[in-house]
Amino acid sequence: MLKKGLVFVAAASIAVSAVSSAYAASGRDYISVVGSSTVYPFATTVAEQFGKTTKFKTPKIESTGSGGGMKLFCTGSGIDTPDITNASRRIKYSEYEKCQNNGVKKITEVKIGYDGIVMANSKEEAQVTFTKKDIFLALAKDVPDPKGSEKLVANPYKTWKEVNPSLPDTKIEVLGPPPTSGTRDAFVELAMEGGCKQIGWIKALKKKDKKYFKSVCHTVREDGAYIEAGENDNLIVQKLTANPKAFGIFGFSFLDQNGDKIQGSIVGGVSPTFENIAAGKYPVSRPLYFYVKNSHVGVVPGMAEFLNEFTSEKAWGEDGYLSDKGLIPMPEAERKQFAADVKGLKALVLTK
Amino acid sequence: MQSRKKETSMDKMNIGLAKRYRKERRFRLFGLAAVFASITFLGILFVSIAANGWTAFQQTEILLDVHFDTAEFDVDNLYSVNYGALVKNSMRSLFPEVKGRSDKRDLYRLMSSGAVYILQDMVMKDSGIIGSTQQIWLPADDEVDMLMKGHISRDVTEGDRRLNDKQISWVDTLVAEKRLEKKFNTTFFTAGDSREPELAGIRGAAVGSLFTLAVTLLLSFPIGVATAVYLEEFAPRNKWTDLVEVNINNLAAVPSIVFGLLGLAVFLNIFGMPRSAPLVGGLVLTLMTLPTIIIASRAALKSVPPSIREAALGVGASKMQAITHHILPLALPGMLTGTIIGMAQALGETAPLLMIGMVAFIVDVPGSVTDPSTVLPVQIYLWADSPERAFVERTSAAIMVLLAFLISMNAIAVFLRRKFERRW
Amino acid sequence: MSPSLFLIVLLGMASYVYMQGKRRAFRLASSESDSTKLHSRPGYYGMLTALWCFLPALLVFSFWMMFSGSVLTTLALRTLPDTMQNIPPNQLNLLINDLHNLIAGHVAAKDIDPVLQLAAEQYLGMERISRISLAVVMFAVALFFSSLIYRRITPRLRARNHVERIVQTGLMICSGLAVLITIGIVVSVMFESIRFFQQVPVTDFLFGLKWSPQMAMREDQAGSSGSFGAIPIMAGTFMISGIALSVAVPIGLMSAIYLSEYAPPRVRAWAKPVMEILAGVPTVVYGFFAALVVAPFIRNSGELLGLDVSSESALAAGLVMGVMIIPFISSLSDDVITAVPQAMRDGSYGLGATKSETIKNVIIPAALPGIVGGVLLAASRAIGETMIVVMAAGLSANLTANPLQAVTTVTVQIVTLLVGDQEFDSPKTLVAFALGLLLFLVTLVLNVIALYVVRKYREEYE
Repeated sequence: MLKKGLVFVAAASIAVSAVSSAYAASGRDYISVVGSSTVYPFATTVAEQFGKTTKFKTPKIESTGSGGGMKLFCTGSGIDTPDITNASRRIKYSEYEKCQNNGVKKITEVKIGYDGIVMANSKEEAQVTFTKKDIFLALAKDVPDPKGSEKLVANPYKTWKEVNPSLPDTKIEVLGPPPTSGTRDAFVELAMEGGCKQIGWIKALKKKDKKYFKSVCHTVREDGAYIEAGENDNLIVQKLTANPKAFGIFGFSFLDQNGDKIQGSIVGGVSPTFENIAAGKYPVSRPLYFYVKNSHVGVVPGMAEFLNEFTSEKAWGEDGYLSDKGLIPMPEAERKQFAADVKGLKALVLTK
Repeated sequence: MQSRKKETSMDKMNIGLAKRYRKERRFRLFGLAAVFASITFLGILFVSIAANGWTAFQQTEILLDVHFDTAEFDVDNLYSVNYGALVKNSMRSLFPEVKGRSDKRDLYRLMSSGAVYILQDMVMKDSGIIGSTQQIWLPADDEVDMLMKGHISRDVTEGDRRLNDKQISWVDTLVAEKRLEKKFNTTFFTAGDSREPELAGIRGAAVGSLFTLAVTLLLSFPIGVATAVYLEEFAPRNKWTDLVEVNINNLAAVPSIVFGLLGLAVFLNIFGMPRSAPLVGGLVLTLMTLPTIIIASRAALKSVPPSIREAALGVGASKMQAITHHILPLALPGMLTGTIIGMAQALGETAPLLMIGMVAFIVDVPGSVTDPSTVLPVQIYLWADSPERAFVERTSAAIMVLLAFLISMNAIAVFLRRKFERRW
Repeated sequence: MSPSLFLIVLLGMASYVYMQGKRRAFRLASSESDSTKLHSRPGYYGMLTALWCFLPALLVFSFWMMFSGSVLTTLALRTLPDTMQNIPPNQLNLLINDLHNLIAGHVAAKDIDPVLQLAAEQYLGMERISRISLAVVMFAVALFFSSLIYRRITPRLRARNHVERIVQTGLMICSGLAVLITIGIVVSVMFESIRFFQQVPVTDFLFGLKWSPQMAMREDQAGSSGSFGAIPIMAGTFMISGIALSVAVPIGLMSAIYLSEYAPPRVRAWAKPVMEILAGVPTVVYGFFAALVVAPFIRNSGELLGLDVSSESALAAGLVMGVMIIPFISSLSDDVITAVPQAMRDGSYGLGATKSETIKNVIIPAALPGIVGGVLLAASRAIGETMIVVMAAGLSANLTANPLQAVTTVTVQIVTLLVGDQEFDSPKTLVAFALGLLLFLVTLVLNVIALYVVRKYREEYE
């Protein structure tokens, strides 16, 4: 037993040290991408196309979330840091500043297209028409007193009908992303703030006390009507079919894929279809970005070619393969402009 | 008098006996029910997974007559050839009546975008086929696949379907001509990850899991057993060892993501190991499984009867000899149980791997423990979050692969456990 | 020649040296007069030589592994012109990557710089030299130490004691590692926790009844209120783990008893490993099952009874989690119950006890430490589980005693706080570490109680 044990330990130590010897001197010959889980499906599609049609290796793409990606991206320049980060929102000034301080001086910003955020329910129930104000009143933590005075009370609404008599008489139950998610940020900013502004005296607040205005408009209720359902959008879709009375909030591509089970609600008079989002009619849509570390172009194998692939018409054009995956393309002029930016590696300059 | 007394106690016993036997039977029944319940539950899980996932082992393919037109080829650069045009030409030749730009696009959509790469690979491998016409089975698009498997129903309105009426009629024509069939899905077992369900495979993740677990097993089993032996047999009994014992028990309850954080800080930031590598994944999972193995091994060592130890010492064995010759073999089944459970847990873990960059899209199958790779549960997690409907069955199929992995891993350990198990 | 080959050769050498040492011991034993017997069995002499052959050489090897790469790179960089050397460190890092890619023969990013190409060739040349020198040094060391020991082999040499001391040192180092991990975990959690408590008072954290940590991190973002009361999520954790354990402990323990005491060996041989699969099913699967099968079932049956059940419930998550942790209890208990000596059963039967009475009164007390160990492990796993809870019980922290409501657990909160946007100056991220610390302390107390209970009630036989 002792002998066997020693031999086992010796074998194990050999295996482990042989293994560690493998990474003594090998450089990175693939592109490393981090960032948003919303951009992930699009970036991976491009990466795969790129890996299969060129001599370069397929880029490695991590899904870390926009903020997490920015953090890794801005830790510095160098081979152990990512080359590109995806984001479902624009880079913030604080993040930009951090990048600058850590020696990531030149960054190119590339907008790749749009993503619609939809509210949807099961096809077993009727399609619903919301105004942005309905959404705000149903989901905000504090709402204007229903009795009419100009003060805020804790959200008293339990059913949709109480919010707006034209809505169905069912319990308010909305499954949506947690606050850590970029989808939630965008939804709150576009839908809820939009509805919030329709209430005159709150809109007036914006000029007086911007911070207070934001906290009124952006804070989601926490009493169980809004259910934070994790980041798995497929699960939300399946929960909607199991519970037809509930609504879900998620990205357009999930609605696109599950058109036979769920339907998108009409928001502000526009239904969430590919065409409406592309034309900019649907109010709840946001731009998607990625950011490139210019110093890595020409050093990490394949960077220039990858950027070229991403910004080609066959990828992000009207009929490109990304639109098959649910990315809403930008207008042609914008595409041209960003493609030119990438070619020239135009460094982003942000001011506070 | 004495005999009467005996009778009464005997009677008492007999009355109690029936009751005791009833209790005995009930107890036994409870046990059986418990085993039955857990196995039933496992059965339900298996059946639901298999029912969802078995269809992923088949893939719809379309038979095309591809003409490798010499005019299209530039021999110096086989990458730049427009292989898409080859596929489109052969699709058009099947349906010459299709005219108009959008109809043609709809027609091309029946074919997987991966068909192009298959042609490219064929030409790369053998440039002799240029100029010839070949009959090739090429994968159909995932929507067609879903239609054939009944996951897209034909009776909803056209707008709610991913395939329109024309496309469905083309598919029906192809089926009638025996040009569209479901075949065994070899891609699933030979390819790495892909964004196209029909091209996605499990091999990259399976190999990644294999590497990661190999590192974990090689480190955690010897270290865990050694720690248990030292703490149980050699360490002095005092407050300190109590503290160590409680602490190790406590480590088992530390959320696994915290181990990921520790791994990030130690292995990546201090030792500068590569991100997303199975080596680091294995190390992090070692940290996580060690407590389980140590606890199980200590319990196993404790349960070896003292008489064995005393007998060995009595015939002149040293302490180390008593342990290695007698106690360890007897404790081994329990240690293996701990290892099985620990490794099973490691096999299914995703949270700590997120911290060290293993939740990623990686197409290439890793060749060593330092190549970037992902593992099976991560692949399952990523697929479960993909919008494409075809990934649902692939998720279940990936789970089946993971379970097969788990079962074969357990089978080895169970064989060893049976070999060493003994009763006194 | 790859370095791993050296190790295999070394292993071969060690086994050869083992044979030689053993043979020498045999020879000594037979040649010397009978009065001087060998101190240890001949194998130990072999083992001692083999260990001295293997260990020092392994040490040399690992040192080389650790430093050769960086030393060679620095040397190769020296050959480059000064203009290329005197660049800021992060650009140098990119240059080194270029060099390494060249060395490994990867696809280059751009046209190859001839100077760099030269450096790469230099590197490869030096690497060859360094490998040869490693081989020489390694095998010289191995040979030196093993021959040193080989010569010292005499019947008087206390080989066994030496070997045992080496092995015991190895064991000690291993257990030191386990302690080190604990310290690492505590330290990494402790510092961030202290920073958290500098911003949020301890009392607010420990006794606060409201949990809503997702406060705004950027100026233009409005998060939730930012209250850090840990009580609702602690309560949620205990409720879900409690439900899970109340499923797993009876089923697990009864299965273990049935399998080890009643079932025929063949049934046991099959059933036990089958049940162990339950522990290895990925938690995503349980999560989907809990969210899409169990939760709607509970909801529907609740509505039939006229109860208000939310679609996310602690009950669904707890039940499914209970199933997952059954094998922790069943397998570990089964092992220890099997290990209870037959003599004790026989003694109990001899006194007229039925099988179940024997189990309840004799076997369980004897096997108690192992059983408690299994239960603790199961509880730990339940506390540490995230996926099932996220999918089936939600993320909202309600302070409620009603298992039909949505609750959340400490681990889930830690994971959601650490994944996604992190800011290590904001209490939002730091609170994750404070939660980790709190969880650590709570489980510590539970473990101490368990240890005490085991010590008190354990029946040590023989």
